[in-house]
Amino acid sequence: MANAPTPIRRRTIVVVHAGLGQPSATRLLADRLAAATVGELAAKGIDAGVTMIELRDHAQDLVSNLLTGFPSPVLQASIEDVVGADGLIAVTPVYSASYSGLFKLFFDVLERDALAGVPVLVAATAGTARHSLALDHALRPLFVYLGAAVVPTAVFAAAEDWGTGGDPMEPSLADRIARAGRELATALVTRDAKPGPDPFADPVPFEQLLARDQG
Amino acid sequence: MLTHTEGHMGPTMQFGIFTVGDVTPDPTTGRRPTEGERIASMVTLALKAEELGLDVFASGEHHNPPFVPSSPTTMLGYIAARTERLILSTATTLITTNDPVKIAEDYAMLQHLAAGRVDIMLGRGNTGPVYPWFGQDIRNGIALAVENYALLHRLWREDVVDWEGRFRTPLTGFTSTPRPLDGVPPFVWHGSIRSPEIPEQAAYYGDGFFANHIFWPKEHTQRMVALYRRRFEHYGHGRADQAIVGLGGQVFMRHNSQDAVREFRPYFDNAPVYGHGPSLEDFTDQTPLTVGSPQQVIDRTLTFREYVGDYQRQLFLVDHAGLPLNTVLEQLDLLAGEVVPVLRREFAALTPAHVPDAPTHAGLVAARDAAAASPVSVA
Repeated sequence: MANAPTPIRRRTIVVVHAGLGQPSATRLLADRLAAATVGELAAKGIDAGVTMIELRDHAQDLVSNLLTGFPSPVLQASIEDVVGADGLIAVTPVYSASYSGLFKLFFDVLERDALAGVPVLVAATAGTARHSLALDHALRPLFVYLGAAVVPTAVFAAAEDWGTGGDPMEPSLADRIARAGRELATALVTRDAKPGPDPFADPVPFEQLLARDQG
Repeated sequence: MLTHTEGHMGPTMQFGIFTVGDVTPDPTTGRRPTEGERIASMVTLALKAEELGLDVFASGEHHNPPFVPSSPTTMLGYIAARTERLILSTATTLITTNDPVKIAEDYAMLQHLAAGRVDIMLGRGNTGPVYPWFGQDIRNGIALAVENYALLHRLWREDVVDWEGRFRTPLTGFTSTPRPLDGVPPFVWHGSIRSPEIPEQAAYYGDGFFANHIFWPKEHTQRMVALYRRRFEHYGHGRADQAIVGLGGQVFMRHNSQDAVREFRPYFDNAPVYGHGPSLEDFTDQTPLTVGSPQQVIDRTLTFREYVGDYQRQLFLVDHAGLPLNTVLEQLDLLAGEVVPVLRREFAALTPAHVPDAPTHAGLVAARDAAAASPVSVA
């Protein structure tokens, strides 16, 4: 591009998906969303790296974390990837009208403010388009609760979307993926990420804790 | 500043046991002890600890089933009457939901009855409903710990206190009785697994910091202790390596380590805290839990100082998850007979002389008198 801005800091995108099958339609959608976002960033002259987290690999460790209160070293590494990411793509199959239990477990074990201000693209897969409102009734409120900046377009892929069965009156799955990727890329570029204070490196001085108490 | 006693190898560390006081069915038999049996077994453990030459017995405080120790000073007072040298402590006393005035009174009374063999570990408690049961809100946990301890600290040091705060009715002209034994309050440890405000609080007052060091990976303990030591020095109580640190620990031993693993596994797999989750092998890798021979426990325990520095008190959890009393008593025999003597020797040899002794009433009195005798304060 003629007017591409000077390349700035490399961005990291983490993709978390809860697909179980091999191959998995959820993984397929996750890959497409990541590629769309990376392509949009490249068009803006920004290099981006993608880390793919398959929650299936962490299934046992997630249950253990729920029970013990701490993650295994392997799960901890993935959590650190997510917490350190510039942007997140979160994709789940729809089970019983909502995200899968495995998907929710991962977000249950994150620290309360781990995703605060992080741009997030949410997406889901299911056998039928009748489940598509799970995105706006379940996933979006979850990430809003976590303080994430959810991009406007959430992408739903029903089984028929992978063929010719999509609604001819609506944008195709490929169009929706492209639009969502554009939105996430824009959010990543404009995000002013400042790491929060480290309470262990810079503890609140005790006089302040005492004064707060008397206030 | 406590300095170590002249005439022996190195500074003195204390070793002991701490108990949660859970009533848990034995998963291998299904048998659940009665509350009376559990209370009696806690007392038996304390008496055995004294008999075997351990230094400390600490009881938890809980206000909900399946736990029995709701009234620690009653139990500790009873144990005090039947022991001569054991230090009686808590793990933890709820600084959030107990009235600090009552803590000041109860533990000063216990201190007199036990002739100074008392210290106290303060914690916030993590059971949500306990707060409203005592008229508080768990979201104020830190603020309660800060304000209540500020009052407790004054009640033990000022004969007449005027005070007003957010959480308790004001005091005008109040004197907490009895006054602390010899005018020296019980030593205070502040315990927390992960809240940085608590090591900050311990450092500010120059009190001890105790890390649970049971349920979570050592990295949590490490960063909490590091913060406490740095801030202890910042507040002028001494060098960072002179801060007073205590650690928990959890062990199960048999002479043959495979026997230990085989016997402990059903208790681990069904334990209330971590049961049905990670494997015993993963959990021993990821946390300080050691299941094996006395030598393995010695080796593992000696590694603790590598990530927290030289420390003063090591307490082990041995009676939980439904382990029968006889088994626990055998654990105490191994601990006191084979593990602690080696640890005492090894730690003493490794610890430099400027590291303070573990706190005792006699040591605190001597330090107070030395400070009074010296016109110039030396850090």
